[in-house]
Amino acid sequence: MLEIKDLKAEIEGKKILNGINLVVKPGEVHAIMGPNGAGKSTLSAVLAGRADYAVTGGEVSFNGKDLLEMSPEDRAREGVFLAFQYPVEIPGVSTTNFLKTAINEKRKYLGLEPMEATAFLKFMREKMELMEMDKALTSRSLNEGFSGGEKKRNEVFQMAMLEPKLTIMDETDSGLDIDALRLVSAGVNKLKDGERSFVVITHYQRLLDYIVPDFVHVLYKGRIVKSGDASLAKELEAKGYDWIKAEVEQEANA
Amino acid sequence: MLLETIKKDFIQYKAQAEPGEFLTLREAAFAEFEKLGFPTTKHEEWKYTNLKSITDNTFQSTCEIKSLVNELFNASIESKLTANFLVFVNGSLVNELSKIIEKDNSIVISSLATSRKNNQAIFNQHFGKYAKVEGQAMNALNTALLSDGAFVFVPKGKTVVHPVVIFNISDASDLNVLAQPRNLIVVEEQSTLTIVETYYATGTNASFTNVVTETYAGKSAHVEHYKIQQQAGACYQNNFTQFFQEADTNINHVTLTLDGTLVRNNLHFYMNGENCNSLLYGLYVTDNKDLVDNHTRVDHAKPNCFSDEKYKGILKGHSTAVFNGKIMVHLDAQKTNAYQRNQNILLSDDATVNTKPQLEIFADDVKCTHGATVGELDEESMFYLRSRGIPEDVARKLLLTAYAVDIAEKIKIPELVELLEQKIDGKL
Repeated sequence: MLEIKDLKAEIEGKKILNGINLVVKPGEVHAIMGPNGAGKSTLSAVLAGRADYAVTGGEVSFNGKDLLEMSPEDRAREGVFLAFQYPVEIPGVSTTNFLKTAINEKRKYLGLEPMEATAFLKFMREKMELMEMDKALTSRSLNEGFSGGEKKRNEVFQMAMLEPKLTIMDETDSGLDIDALRLVSAGVNKLKDGERSFVVITHYQRLLDYIVPDFVHVLYKGRIVKSGDASLAKELEAKGYDWIKAEVEQEANA
Repeated sequence: MLLETIKKDFIQYKAQAEPGEFLTLREAAFAEFEKLGFPTTKHEEWKYTNLKSITDNTFQSTCEIKSLVNELFNASIESKLTANFLVFVNGSLVNELSKIIEKDNSIVISSLATSRKNNQAIFNQHFGKYAKVEGQAMNALNTALLSDGAFVFVPKGKTVVHPVVIFNISDASDLNVLAQPRNLIVVEEQSTLTIVETYYATGTNASFTNVVTETYAGKSAHVEHYKIQQQAGACYQNNFTQFFQEADTNINHVTLTLDGTLVRNNLHFYMNGENCNSLLYGLYVTDNKDLVDNHTRVDHAKPNCFSDEKYKGILKGHSTAVFNGKIMVHLDAQKTNAYQRNQNILLSDDATVNTKPQLEIFADDVKCTHGATVGELDEESMFYLRSRGIPEDVARKLLLTAYAVDIAEKIKIPELVELLEQKIDGKL
């Protein structure tokens, strides 16, 4: 589904990603962990198509298509979804209107007729129930005045509505209390169907207690320096990142 | 030259006017106008707004009415409202289109000319008492040569159920036209009124509207006042609106400028009692070589009053916007809360904004903030929408509409807001 080969990227001349390699197959959950400044958020930004980052090398293919060539909206309509670390508040745009526009733009891109208003509302109601969303949130302006937890739940709700093939979750757990974390994770788990893939970017292991990964990768200095299964996350939680850093330095010196 | 026409007009008016207080007032106003002359860019308050294209031109006052205005009226969004209508073409009342549905006979909704005869005491008590003539050339000119206008009187403790729409049309089908409407609105103690003041134009010639509106709000009165400017074509407008507030009054004012070659709005509030609330909201969407200038002034003359001001602009083409927001906090106006913001989005490299907040504070225990921004659409918001599959052009329109609607929604007539939103959407 997603194939990243030797991806290099920089921002304002500063090298952040120094050759990332990663393959995500349908239905897989990959966790990307790493200390602050390792390049975790840059990776998600580059995959989603944020303009501030310059890709200086490597390639990314998504279901056989060159992802890096696509505009952010085309990536989304091809099935990539980025759950933001800091969802943006957009006053004056209701969640309902926003989602209707997004869904119908995707349908247009795929050559489908727009969804009828009643069908859309029914679909939205179903997804709201599934995600245990408060009805009031959808009539309010997008994320405006939402608490941190509400914003993150709204991201997962949008994911449920847009039905992506690949979801990249950028530190979705940051700023969440345990209840909100549980709700967000439950939402994600409900969307797992054996086909959909997830790349979960996180600093802490606790989210991975709820969204159990098939693979865990450690990102450090813009490269994946270690990969393993879910037990690697537990090890990191227990031992911190210093031993990984030490290993990398040792290798570099050898 | 406009000045010559105006002088001629005044001589003509004087020749057939009845002697009396009203004539004396207008003569004094004309003398003041002659002394001051038209404002030029040398005046600080008119630095960015050049009236030369008006003063070098000729405009004539005319009473002739074309049937075209009926169509224009019927096609307008305002005409769809359940409301009282006073319709003026080139400053003269059109009886056939005007309609009063208010049942309470103690409430007066009429033309200014009629009220001067039928409601003399109220007229004399309030007319010309709030909009200053001294030092204000355009007010002086209006006072001297006013055509007609709306008169609304709401006695103590009454609520006017439906809005009063003051519907102005400039009909420039045959020649360049000049209209000088004059509105007087008196809302007594504990009364409530909603005014929709709206401007349209028709015809291929130019029009110049110089309008003055005075509103008196008695103790605990509540006034909603919406101004909607949509004069397409070669249309020039100078609009002066003065609110005079007694204690405990609430005034919610919204100005939407969606069209016009040159529009200068002067919006003044004077708080003459404690615990007043004054809300001033504005939206201007400009294009071509249009110029929209909003000069506002809020006089916090008494303690414990609140004012909130937010003006937003969207500029396209070679257009120019001017915002000048003056807040005067007088010496004894302690515990004043005054907020002011002016935001502008430039959609073209050739558009210009001149924005100037002006706070003059003479009291020491007050809370005042102001801020002005000029920029483009928020990139983070754009990326967020695009990352959900919404193409760039659709995302931009969604954000611009939201930005604009924020102001339109300050109007408390939902059916009007809905129609205006469609109008604004079409402009973006």
